[in-house]
Amino acid sequence: MTALAAIRERVRGGQPLSFEDGVALFRHPNLLEVAALANEVRERLHGDRTYFNRNFHINATNVCVASCMFCSFARLKEGDQGAYTMKLDEAWGKLQARVDAGEPVTEIHIVNGLHDGLPFDYYTDLLAGLKRIKPSIHLKAFTAVEIHYYAQHYGMTIEEVLTRLRAAGLDSLPGGGAEIFAPRVRRKICDDKCNADEWLEVHRTAHRMGLRSNCTMLYGTIETLDERVDHMLRLRALQDETGGFQTFIPLAFHPDNNALMKLPAPTGVEDLRTYAVARLLLHNIPHLKAYWVMLGIKTAQTALWFGADDLDGTVQEEKIYHMAGAETPQAFTPDEIVRTIREAGRSPVERDTLYNVIAEGAALVPDRPFRRPVRRSLEVLS
Amino acid sequence: MNKRLRIAAVSFLNARPITYGLERGLGEDRFELRFALPSRCAELLATGEADLALLPTASYVAHPGELRVVPGVAVAGRGPVRTVLLVGERPWHELTSVALDGASRSSAALLKLLMRERGLSPAYEEVEHEGVLAAATGQRGALIIGDAGFEAPERYPHVYDLGREWTTLTGLPFVYALWAGRPEAVGPEEVALLRESLRAGLAHRAEIARGWAEARGIDPAVCEAYLQHNIRYQLGAEELSGAAAFIHRASVAGLLPKKALRFYDDGRAERPITTAKTAPPLPVPASAPVRPAGNGRGSVDALLADAAAGGRLDVDEAVRLYHEAPALELGAAADARRRQLHGDGVVTYIIDRNVNYTNVCVTRCKFCNFYRPPGHKEGYTLSRDELGRKLAETVDLGGVQILLQGGLNPELPLAYYEDLFRWMKASFPLAIHGLSPEEIRYIAELERLPIRTVLERLVAAGLDSVPGGGAEILDDDVRRYISPLKCSTETWLEVMRQAHALGLRTTATMVFGFGETPQQLFAHLEHLRALQDETAGFTAFICWPFQAEGTRLKLKDDTTAMRYLRVFALSRLYLDNFPNLQVSWPTMGPDVGQVALRFGGNDFGSAMIEENVVSQAGAVFKLSAQDIEHYVRTAGFTPRRRNMRYELLAV
Repeated sequence: MTALAAIRERVRGGQPLSFEDGVALFRHPNLLEVAALANEVRERLHGDRTYFNRNFHINATNVCVASCMFCSFARLKEGDQGAYTMKLDEAWGKLQARVDAGEPVTEIHIVNGLHDGLPFDYYTDLLAGLKRIKPSIHLKAFTAVEIHYYAQHYGMTIEEVLTRLRAAGLDSLPGGGAEIFAPRVRRKICDDKCNADEWLEVHRTAHRMGLRSNCTMLYGTIETLDERVDHMLRLRALQDETGGFQTFIPLAFHPDNNALMKLPAPTGVEDLRTYAVARLLLHNIPHLKAYWVMLGIKTAQTALWFGADDLDGTVQEEKIYHMAGAETPQAFTPDEIVRTIREAGRSPVERDTLYNVIAEGAALVPDRPFRRPVRRSLEVLS
Repeated sequence: MNKRLRIAAVSFLNARPITYGLERGLGEDRFELRFALPSRCAELLATGEADLALLPTASYVAHPGELRVVPGVAVAGRGPVRTVLLVGERPWHELTSVALDGASRSSAALLKLLMRERGLSPAYEEVEHEGVLAAATGQRGALIIGDAGFEAPERYPHVYDLGREWTTLTGLPFVYALWAGRPEAVGPEEVALLRESLRAGLAHRAEIARGWAEARGIDPAVCEAYLQHNIRYQLGAEELSGAAAFIHRASVAGLLPKKALRFYDDGRAERPITTAKTAPPLPVPASAPVRPAGNGRGSVDALLADAAAGGRLDVDEAVRLYHEAPALELGAAADARRRQLHGDGVVTYIIDRNVNYTNVCVTRCKFCNFYRPPGHKEGYTLSRDELGRKLAETVDLGGVQILLQGGLNPELPLAYYEDLFRWMKASFPLAIHGLSPEEIRYIAELERLPIRTVLERLVAAGLDSVPGGGAEILDDDVRRYISPLKCSTETWLEVMRQAHALGLRTTATMVFGFGETPQQLFAHLEHLRALQDETAGFTAFICWPFQAEGTRLKLKDDTTAMRYLRVFALSRLYLDNFPNLQVSWPTMGPDVGQVALRFGGNDFGSAMIEENVVSQAGAVFKLSAQDIEHYVRTAGFTPRRRNMRYELLAV
């Protein structure tokens, strides 16, 4: 029996795949055969359903004590060129403007630099103020790296940080900051960040407290395929323990304006391969998100046949990837998302952050001709 | 214990490299090999005495049941073959009859076809294999196949090499024989062994020639030169085009029934991904899982499987697949088809420059952002200085060709193009891939000359090939809506037909997403396929979605990736007689272009220096040759540079 046939049997029998299986899937020459198996799992879990939500991003500050080589967003200190920290009114105003415009947003995604000069109250006030404007809004905020930094910087335990943030309005954690767990890679590309065990411990703690979270992997820098597999298996092990991860989001490295500019970005085939392998390895994480901001809308749409079941959301005002050269639009309207999903032969489902269905089928926005409000996706390799 | 696969092979010299490994025990636990004349090989297969046989192409077609071909291996030739000859004491238009034996049906059909092409119809007399040579006397010629051909040139005043005649007529190779067998007889491992047998044989051609020559008292050098230079053993896109052209022409002439070549799945997919440091490459994979049948899925699966093996789809079947076939299964079928045509895992690209010599145009197509009507202040025609600079830059950047297209400018007579081409050819080492059918039609109209005359004069001035632009959708209802002043479907096809008749190779395109129905879309492909059956002059097909932004057509933007990939995969399946499918990264982006290499594509197009027509409607992708090679490699293929005729270039 060939290696893929053996893997197929294990997948169909519901058995977890091994490290060797993961590497074999990455190296298997026929992309579409790997995709077909990933798609089988995707359809077993979700059928044709493809999720999105109405959200927007707040990146309240880009001042950051860490100097990660892949980052084009952060500035080391206040006053550096391009450095900014939002006044709370300014951050709250972003939600107020959408509420005033009657936009039915359901989630705010908040991720920031590791700012060494702000009081902890800045963050709790930020959350509380947003909840005051719209109590039903879901606040998915602060990566494990930020939580870990707050604990160190403000002298609290992880649990204390999470408890205080939750009291102020925190609903769940985004999955960022995981990068690649392998110490070899972390030392080179993000030496200032918390290590793998610390990252996992934050999520373990959050899950124990009943908070849900997502998880990510930054791929396409200097890691080997083995290190990608190792990364995913460590996430899978924590998920076996807690069951608290909702979604895995592979993040492709973008090479503009950062210290790794000489590396080529992962190509479409490499992106899709990574998605398919992730779907097969992470059998216990229910969702796989094709984050269109970094993949580009076209590759993200294609990924819906390579294991992905989620396109993230409308986003708006994303800064981190766009400062790294992502030339995707700043926003994706619900009409466009629905049409993109339908054109892929899938069924769009508007969800909230916790994957409760808000609308699907005919209840979703009508499929009318659309115009992109901002400029077209360019997806250039520079 | 399983019965061994019974193989029948031709005992001729030209087949020995193919059976070399098998004769020396390769796969002996699986195979049982015997030798016979070509016609006998066909009989053994028909009676069930053999499971797989090295068959003349004509015997494959004439076989009453369903057969499959082993991909990648054939006895083929381009130009003189030396062992399929018409000989006689008189030139062939003076022959009243031709003696032939029953040994090779393909050679006989080829002879009859070539005779008919010349308007000749001698009587054909069947004689014993041994008696053929002696039969060529007076007004009776003889068809000689095999070793006897080596000596024929000295014995007869008139000798016609049918391989040479075929290639002169069509520009294509001829496939003399291929491995064919019962559909279930051969799996990926047997395919691999048969290829290995040939690989070993190719490495020992000198030894094979020596052995053969000694046993028969012929000059070994003659035999070796024959195996090295006259016969080629790969069955690639060019050879398959040649085989398809032969089958088509022979069926039109009533010499053979019409039948597509269908293939065994070789289960290969090029290189494993090699960026990691661990684990050796995987063994040969099994084929992709198929969803259980149900709700009419059964026949969709059957359609896809047949198209993947090389079977021909009709418009209704393609429409059905367009609506019902899952995306990945369409992709896998197109990928299998691509593998049959380009089993070497090579993906080609070209370095050329798109020069739009004028934007002045009378047609006012609604989808075009580029044109200016005559008299408009933004209208331009490039000067020799500007052109010269662009062409010199192209040469400096390693370019081999200029894609020269422009508007329909009433100020530019035929003489303008003739002067321009002569000057370009005299000044720069660049091929001219120029003037779409629309432009050629317009020049003919301006000059009140037949299209053929215009083409002949352009060729005389230096035109090398014709780009397939302006086809949009070849459906006159759609054309009337989007570009009412442009040429009709029939005119577009006629210009291409005339170009092919003059020996020019051309490409073909399709722009979709104008609101055409799937029927109209596949009717477009049907037009192209039918003309290709007739002429075999198209080298490649390229399609892309219409980009609405900024144009006067009030249509939704139709650039979603999945629609492109589906249409692309179906194009690969539908255009079974097109050797090459080019992905369109300039409009779809390099990532989707790269993914399309797994949906049937084998060419990454051009490392582009400029492209005005599309870029004015929004797309601004640019890739260098190095970028293209990176995309090709990370998709698991080997990048190679080519020219317009898809010949690989040494870099």
